[in-house]
Amino acid sequence: MDDPLVRISGLRVAFDGVPVLRGVDLAVGSGEAVGLVGESGCGKSVTWLAALGLLPGKAQVTGSVVLDGQELLGAPMPLLDRVRGGQIAMIFQDPASSLNPVHRIGRQVGEALRLHRGMDGAAARAETRRLLDQVGIPDAGNRMEAYPHELSGGQNQRVMIAMALAGRPRLLVADEPTTALDVTIQAQILDLLATLRAETGMALVLISHDLGVVAETCDRVAVMYAGLVIEEVSSARLFDAPAHPYTQGLLSALPPLDGLPRQHLAAIPGSVPEPRALPPGCAFGPRCPRRASLCDEQVPLLVDVAPGQRAACRILGADVPPAFGLAAA
Amino acid sequence: MTALLEAEGLVRRYTMRRGLLGRQVELRAVDGVSLRLERGETLGLVGESGCGKSTTGRLVLGLEAPDEGTVRFDGAPVPPVGSAAWRAQRARMQMVFQDPLGALDRRLTIGTQIAEPFEIHGMAGAQDRVAGLLRDVGLREDFAARYPHELSGGQRQRAVLARALATDPALLVCDEPISALDVSVQAQVMNLLIDLQAERRLTMLFISHDLRAVRQVSHRVAVMYLGRIVEEGEPDAVLRDPAHPYAQALVSAIPHPGRTARRQVLQGDPPNPAARPPGCAFHPRCPVAVGLCRSVVPELKPRASDGRRVACHVAQGEAMGEAA
Repeated sequence: MDDPLVRISGLRVAFDGVPVLRGVDLAVGSGEAVGLVGESGCGKSVTWLAALGLLPGKAQVTGSVVLDGQELLGAPMPLLDRVRGGQIAMIFQDPASSLNPVHRIGRQVGEALRLHRGMDGAAARAETRRLLDQVGIPDAGNRMEAYPHELSGGQNQRVMIAMALAGRPRLLVADEPTTALDVTIQAQILDLLATLRAETGMALVLISHDLGVVAETCDRVAVMYAGLVIEEVSSARLFDAPAHPYTQGLLSALPPLDGLPRQHLAAIPGSVPEPRALPPGCAFGPRCPRRASLCDEQVPLLVDVAPGQRAACRILGADVPPAFGLAAA
Repeated sequence: MTALLEAEGLVRRYTMRRGLLGRQVELRAVDGVSLRLERGETLGLVGESGCGKSTTGRLVLGLEAPDEGTVRFDGAPVPPVGSAAWRAQRARMQMVFQDPLGALDRRLTIGTQIAEPFEIHGMAGAQDRVAGLLRDVGLREDFAARYPHELSGGQRQRAVLARALATDPALLVCDEPISALDVSVQAQVMNLLIDLQAERRLTMLFISHDLRAVRQVSHRVAVMYLGRIVEEGEPDAVLRDPAHPYAQALVSAIPHPGRTARRQVLQGDPPNPAARPPGCAFHPRCPVAVGLCRSVVPELKPRASDGRRVACHVAQGEAMGEAA
């Protein structure tokens, strides 16, 4: 990407000396929708918390996060305050705990408008109403007076999205925005995010553990494992031609919707390694059906494996027969 | 041969007070559910939060007494909760919940916890059996000496399964057993459930919000909405051609890459069980509801064309000649 909106490079995060991010590279273009998938603890949320300076003080963060030519890591507070909410907004999994339970939702959206756009009084109220309307809250004029507990989980998530939109961000980072919601409500929220992106032209980073959700909503997907991006691929190719054995494993672990029922799934053996006890070389090695001796030598780098597809697997480039299990893809 | 488990017209009401001095409101968590589980069969129960699927599981196990309706296990009515006969029967019905860490005692080793059912039900040879159970669920024998916090989420759920299988139950009720696990581990646990079910001829009630997972492990699926079963059939038949508009929306909500058809997005929120709409509870969100749906509760019965059990006036063709 020539001139991305945000470019994260070599981002490393450690807590008490334990590395949780080990050099993440990720670029998001203007108006682009990028999915970030991986299992719990892979660092998908930490990546964006670190980028926005939202991690606790004990986190050691190094690397670079550039927004519009401006470095965000170690940037002064006033700059970060303008970026957070104004340029990059973030919403989280549990809307109820992100909203203040003792303030009416209209006031909470209004606060974001005052902070980021200096709006007050009648103008702020009118804009709040418009935003709530835009995110699909029925009867927005009256609902402004409601408290979060009077709304359902799906509606609270809509309020969170309205607050995020208040600063007219150029990038919305949605961290598992539908995980706590029911399936039919999840469909509504994903639909809303797609509509808003089309209306406002903002970029979207969708963090999720659900490959299906991400592939359907995003143009491009980055798969993370143990603190690294291990594959970057267009959503179209993700399901047709996944390159990294971990991505392949995640896809085949999904129960199919057709074919013989109650057949064994190709589960990935073992579990995610502990950050403080990572295996040498490729962190996926011990669970990988194609592991060879060169996998243990060094941490693999992301390299091009096809146009628009990069993977961090040394087996893919090398002419090494699989050690056991799967034949070469 | 009779079915292992037969539940007839189960109703469970809760009363709650609205506000400090508010009047009592009655909430029907389960509103007339009938289930039949044949031996060696897995029934998947799907629905969204608050639809009463977990309460149904608790009623079936006798953890809660129904306000109306009966549960028959192995041909005989379930004895009153807390009686000696009930406790003896409980050895034959076990359950597994969503959060394995919450289900395990953090201060006891895995081995002690798996051996506990043997003590409670007065069975001998605990030590040998613990090792065998651990092997059956795919854990090494030395896991018996470990504490729950030393295990990963998937391993904990395996340990919970081993404990549930200790008394060699005939019925296993699994309430969202994989929801708290990572994708790659979910597949491992689903494989294990399929194997255990086949090897031990277990009868299983698999409660989940995930239609994919339900198809993966179940022989039959029942879709619940607001305390009632609205559709029941073979998983593949329901997935391919859902008859009830709510089942259609659930199937359509399954994320599907490369989808060409537009997803059918249900309007509105799940309704409040304390303010159940009259007629078909789904009618306020239903895209095809007609006048009849607003007044008469549809019955769950086989559809004329193919025998699929569905509770919908429109799918049953009872709403003919009425404009939507």
